[in-house]
Amino acid sequence: MLNTPHPRRIYRTDAGKLGIEWQDHLQQEFGLWKLRSACPCASCVDEWTGEALLDKNTIPEDIAIEHIQSVGRYALGITWSDGHRSGIYTYERLRKMSNTNIANKNV
Amino acid sequence: MTIPNKEQVLKALEAVIDPDFKKNIVELGFIENLEISDQGAVAFDLVLTTPACPVKEQFVAQCKQILTDLGATDVRVRLSAKMRHSAQEYQGESLISSVHHIVGVASGKGGVGKSTVTANLAMALSLSGARVGILDADIYGPSMGIMFGIDHDPEVHEDRTLTPVTARGGIKIVSMSMFADSGKATIWRGPMASQMIQNFIHRVHWGELDYLFIDFPPGTGDIQLTLTQNCPLSGSVVVTTPQEVALADCRKGLAMFDAVNVPVLGIIENMSYFICDQCDKHHAIFRSGGGERIANFLGVPLLGKIPLEPAVADSGDLGQPMVLRYPNSKSSQVLSEAAGQIAASLSMLSEEGQGLGSFSLDWNEIPLEASC
Repeated sequence: MLNTPHPRRIYRTDAGKLGIEWQDHLQQEFGLWKLRSACPCASCVDEWTGEALLDKNTIPEDIAIEHIQSVGRYALGITWSDGHRSGIYTYERLRKMSNTNIANKNV
Repeated sequence: MTIPNKEQVLKALEAVIDPDFKKNIVELGFIENLEISDQGAVAFDLVLTTPACPVKEQFVAQCKQILTDLGATDVRVRLSAKMRHSAQEYQGESLISSVHHIVGVASGKGGVGKSTVTANLAMALSLSGARVGILDADIYGPSMGIMFGIDHDPEVHEDRTLTPVTARGGIKIVSMSMFADSGKATIWRGPMASQMIQNFIHRVHWGELDYLFIDFPPGTGDIQLTLTQNCPLSGSVVVTTPQEVALADCRKGLAMFDAVNVPVLGIIENMSYFICDQCDKHHAIFRSGGGERIANFLGVPLLGKIPLEPAVADSGDLGQPMVLRYPNSKSSQVLSEAAGQIAASLSMLSEEGQGLGSFSLDWNEIPLEASC
C-alpha cells in the first residue's frame, strides 16, 4: 500500500538549493524561490478553485528556509524567511515537481 | 495631500475590526512589515490567524479604502496567515522520540471493539517481553481506564509534562479518562481536542518503549489528522466487524492512512463468529468472509478473526485484558498471533525502510553537499 518513497537524506547545495535523496535513490534539488512559490496552502492557493492567491512578485528573490520538519510520514513543513509556515509539501507533490535538478545515481 | 507616516497609518487602520475577535486588526497584531515609500506607496503584511479567514477580502478592501483616503498613492496588502494552532505548531523536544515503533489502531466506525483489540495487542506484546505503552486518543469516549482497572491519575509536572500510569503487565498508559470525571462527557470543539492530543503526544515521559499503541477515536476527522501529522507512525491496524456497513467504513480508515503514507499492517476482524458456551459450535452471527474480502481487495493481510466468546467477555469490564486473564481462549490465541505478526511486520519495515523518519532541522543544521 505504500507507494510514495520517503526521503533518505536531506541536504543543501552550495548553490543554496534544498536537496532530497529519496528511498529509491532518486535525487531532486529544489530552488527555494520556486519551492516557496509552489506553496500549496490555502492562503497561497484557493482551496476550491485552485486559483493562485499568492502574488509571486511579493516573494523576495533571496527567500530562505529557516526551518524544515517532517509532517507525519507524508510531507515536509517549511518555515520560510518571510514568516510563512502553513504549507505542507507532500512527498507525492514534491516528487512531481518539474524542473528540479534530478539525478539517479543508482540505476 | 501629504504622505502619511507610520503612526498615522496604524491609527487609521484601527478602524478595521475583526468580526470574530471583535478587536481591531492593529491591536490583534495582524499588521507586519509596514513600509511607506517616499512617493507615498504603503505596503504591509496582513497576518491572519487562518488562511481560510472568511473576511480577508473585506479586510483588504477596507485597508485600501482607508489608506487611499489618508493620502497613500498606492496600497499593497500582502495576505498571509500564522496558524496559532496548526499541526506543525509544536516546537521543542518531543518526548515521543524515545519510542521505537508507534502503531495506530483505528476503525472507520465506533463499536467494533477497537479499544479491546488495542488493549490485548499491547498486553500480548508485553507478555512476550516488550516494553509497551498505550496512548488512548479516544478523548470523547476513553475506555483504557476501565480495561486496565486504573484508579489513579498520571503525574503532571510543573513544565506541563506527564508521567504515564503503569498498569498491569508494566504497560504505560495515558488516557483522557484519567483527566475527566468518568461520568461526565468531554464536550470540546476540534481545536481544544487537538491541543490535548498534542500534549499527549509530545509531553508524556514514555521512556524507552518498543511499541506504543495509539487507540484512535472512531472515524476520520480532526483528531485523526492531528495524530497522523504529529506522530511518526510506523504502521497501523484497522479493526472491523464482518458486516458490509462496517466494511465500508473500514475502507475509509484504510484510505486515511494511505493518504498520509502510513503503512497498514493489516486488518483485524472482530465479532467474526459466536462460540456457543454449551456446545462449542461456531455461529456466523453476522455475515462471514467480509474481512477476507476487503483484505484481498486492498492487498493487506487479515491478521486475525476474533470470535464472540461469552466465556471471556467479562475481562474488559474486570480490568484485565483477556490475553492475560484467559490466555488459552480462542480469542486470546488469535490476538496473540496478530500481535506477533504486527511485531514481525514492523521489524521488516524498519529493515527495508532506511527512510529519514521524523526530523526537525534549522536550515544551517542541514548538511551541505555538492550538487548532484
